[in-house]
Amino acid sequence: MSATGVRPAAGRKIVPWVGVLARLVVGGVWLVAGLLKIPDPAENVRAVRAYQLLPESIVPTVGYALPIVEVLVGLLLILGLLTRISAVLSALLLVAFIVGIAAAWARGLEIECGCFGGGGGPAENASAKYPWEIARDFGLLLLSGWLVWRPRTPWALDNRVLPTVNP
Amino acid sequence: MSKKQSNATKQANAQRAAERAAAIRKEQEAKERRRRVLVVSAAVIGVLALIVAIAVAVQSSRDTTGEASTPPAGAVDSYALPYGQAAAPVTVEIYEDFMCPFCGQFETASQDMLTEYVDQGDVLVEYQMISFLDRASNGTDYSTRAMNAVGVVLDTSGPEVAKEFHDLLFVNQPAEGTDGLSDEQLVDLAIRAGAERSAITQGIEDRSFEQWVKNASDRASKDDINSTPTVLVDGEKVEATTIDELVTETDEAIQAALEE
Repeated sequence: MSATGVRPAAGRKIVPWVGVLARLVVGGVWLVAGLLKIPDPAENVRAVRAYQLLPESIVPTVGYALPIVEVLVGLLLILGLLTRISAVLSALLLVAFIVGIAAAWARGLEIECGCFGGGGGPAENASAKYPWEIARDFGLLLLSGWLVWRPRTPWALDNRVLPTVNP
Repeated sequence: MSKKQSNATKQANAQRAAERAAAIRKEQEAKERRRRVLVVSAAVIGVLALIVAIAVAVQSSRDTTGEASTPPAGAVDSYALPYGQAAAPVTVEIYEDFMCPFCGQFETASQDMLTEYVDQGDVLVEYQMISFLDRASNGTDYSTRAMNAVGVVLDTSGPEVAKEFHDLLFVNQPAEGTDGLSDEQLVDLAIRAGAERSAITQGIEDRSFEQWVKNASDRASKDDINSTPTVLVDGEKVEATTIDELVTETDEAIQAALEE
């Protein structure tokens, strides 16, 4: 469970810092992506609708909720608070986004990703961008997976508020 | 010998008792830690859920999409600027955003062709304006301001002046990512198109058709219009990958519709 204990000395020194880096990178991306979206709720709703995956009855709620969820997941990861739960949430969101982009790509929809705001707008060469967007989300998914596996990292609030379950 | 053994037994017993006590203590501590993890997690998650619920309510109240709006006098299909006779046999809908560079290119490339059809009475063009690109004007909401201005001109000066104004907006189209034309410049262009200053200035500055603009964008989104320019000939979407192709395909679709 914990990263310390049985690992060789070199691994013990590096491994926790991989986690810190993962927290900062993934958390930073979520924070920025969420903050950029918050100013224009109508646009978020259109961006969600453009994927044509969700029923219209829940499209507005998802559009309103997504940016704030992204900001909160980002903050939790950066602060290192409830790292494992945040990383699970982060991974689930990324899987959902990868599925969404892949589905848009497969169905020949030419839409803006809306990942960092925008969306529902014109997208020239949208299908040329899909592979990169998926690759980026997949990279973030791997980092999130690392944090699910090894949630204990230095410089984290977890170390203050959460005792280790198996010390 | 026996004394020694008894001592050893005593020691062993004491050790076992101590180990048992330590094990119980350890288990209790582990239990306590697990309880603490649960309590802290639940508390944080509870607070976050509350924040999300409040934020959704706030975002929902900030989004006025769908609230009632009055279309400008002269608008067709609630949100469109008409160009041509209502009785024309073929309708061409053009979804466009005044900040969208490809829309500007399409306007230039398609103008002669469309004007000819309109003059012959064959085509009614419906400019389905939308404001998807508000974020591309440094926070000045140029797409909304431009479309609102067309609404004001349409309402006060009629479709011919509004069409002229619409054309001028594309001729003088600002680059994507700039502030766009100022309200004063919008007023000046509207006057050049034939509008009266006194009739339009306040409406342009106060964005009197802003809600109409929002609802237009919302309807386009619900109709699965996700890119501009999008052209529909008699409700049929014209497929193309370049602007030149879009013009040719539109021309062909109009001819096909006229032959029917």
